[in-house]
Amino acid sequence: MNIKTILTPKVKDKLRDYVPFIAITLVILLFWGISGERFMSVRNWTFIAQQTPVIMLLAFAQLMIITTGSIDISVGSSLALSAFCGALGMIWLGDVGLILGIFTGGLIGLSNGLIISLLKIPSFVTTLAMLIIVRATVIIVSSGAAIYITKGNISGSGSNITSVTAPWLLSMGKFPAIFIIAIVVSILFWVLYERTAFGQQLKALGGKEEVLRLVGINVTWFKIKVFACAGLMVGLAACVNLARAGAATPQAGMMMELDAIAAVALGGTPLTGGYGSVVKTIIGAMTLTILRNGLTIAGVPPSWSQIALGALLIVAIAISLNRSKIDVVK
Amino acid sequence: MTKNKSEPIVKVKNISKSFGGVKALRDGSFNLNSGEIISIVGANGAGKSTLMKLVSGSLVPDSGSIEINGVEVPRSSHSVSHMREKGVEVVYQDLALVPNMTAPYNLFLGRIPRKWRFFVDEKKMRDKTREILSQLNVTTIQDLSVPISSMSGGQQQIIAIGRAIAWGKEVVILDEPTAALGPNETEKVERVVNEVNSKFGTSFILVSHNIEQVKRLSSRIIVTHHGKTSSEFKTEEISAKKLVEAITLGK
Repeated sequence: MNIKTILTPKVKDKLRDYVPFIAITLVILLFWGISGERFMSVRNWTFIAQQTPVIMLLAFAQLMIITTGSIDISVGSSLALSAFCGALGMIWLGDVGLILGIFTGGLIGLSNGLIISLLKIPSFVTTLAMLIIVRATVIIVSSGAAIYITKGNISGSGSNITSVTAPWLLSMGKFPAIFIIAIVVSILFWVLYERTAFGQQLKALGGKEEVLRLVGINVTWFKIKVFACAGLMVGLAACVNLARAGAATPQAGMMMELDAIAAVALGGTPLTGGYGSVVKTIIGAMTLTILRNGLTIAGVPPSWSQIALGALLIVAIAISLNRSKIDVVK
Repeated sequence: MTKNKSEPIVKVKNISKSFGGVKALRDGSFNLNSGEIISIVGANGAGKSTLMKLVSGSLVPDSGSIEINGVEVPRSSHSVSHMREKGVEVVYQDLALVPNMTAPYNLFLGRIPRKWRFFVDEKKMRDKTREILSQLNVTTIQDLSVPISSMSGGQQQIIAIGRAIAWGKEVVILDEPTAALGPNETEKVERVVNEVNSKFGTSFILVSHNIEQVKRLSSRIIVTHHGKTSSEFKTEEISAKKLVEAITLGK
């Protein structure tokens, strides 16, 4: 039998659907082969389980926006400011103050949505400006210093260290609490994305925005809602990051906007909008984390592993794209 | 529903619309009676699209009035969603479908039925879609789980018409509905329009360049010329030649 008769267009389409799953399997097998037990140990997988949630939640936020055909590159900066405000909130109001972190993310998302919808500035430009502004705001607000989360009262420490006592938050950063939170959020997000009218409208908006306007849907208001929701998700990611890192630093989340986009793309979601999958985005986020982890364990220098990550991104998307349906590439 | 039969369903009186100083429509007036199919014809730029966009709600008139079932549409709430609530639907030339969504989602665009407020009632959507397709005597569309983009142009047009008919309780505006279709598919669309008109009494406003089609489908023809509804004819009383004269010369 000839390969052409097996690989009919239908089979190819099905195969493309599975690219994220195949990719993650190959990545795991590859590093298992290279590093053996050092990679496949419980300790290492605990580490991976701690690292995935932040990038996964950011990828969820990104998935919502990419499905509508827009993009948000401000999520990394937004994560830093949200975590910082969350930590400040805890200093001022106690543990409840952490909510301030989620609201900060929501507020940044809302601002993005308002600027994009009302001033009609493309999302890439708006969120690029926001990336710069928000990062600068963190540095101004924090004066360049971090807020540490501590287990107990620090006595006799220098006066220039700001800290807040929250042992519960630190214990959350250990496996499995952070992981369980990630699973619960994933399930809720899956329901939102796949089963609600809101989720379906995301896909419709990415499919053909002008049609939604023609049938009388208030697209402007809907877009604002989408960016605000994504912002809340970034705020949540910031809180998880606070738990994992044990500190709110002005540098937190740097370059993470690219990780979030890469995770969504590795999950087979076209950046042109209209389609997307929560499950595959989770796989994408895991692939990214595992790859980075595996390369480190295998002793690949960080710069080289960045090159490997970029290359994987191109390969995965090149395979999953159906080029016969694409006329215009921008 | 108590409907006064003698009162026209749509009553458009002296409406006008300018775009930045250019008067696209200076004086548009016409009536549409219940169960009627009328046509609006005119040269390019004569104002017929503007007139239809005003009736469908996507443009707000500068002056004049539009009444639906004897109730004037207030300018403050003049919008597509308001007109859709009143039972006015449009089939656009370029179909106004979302290519990546399935037929049921396209039929329910902007009106997704919900369970527990947030969730999509997919079963209701599928059942209603099948019902509409069988009303239209369409058997070629079976798989409702595929995106619209994988269907043929004719099938897509049926979905677009199906959506308008399902929701257009009063009026369906057909804006060049067959301009992009071949002769076979055009015939199918015309058959569906006639069937729906006689079966459900739906009123239609047809906007078309195709004089033959206008004569085949409608009983009354309204001609727009230089931004005015300049003349009106009964289809059986006017020859194609006279109609072309009215379109080009405005009389």
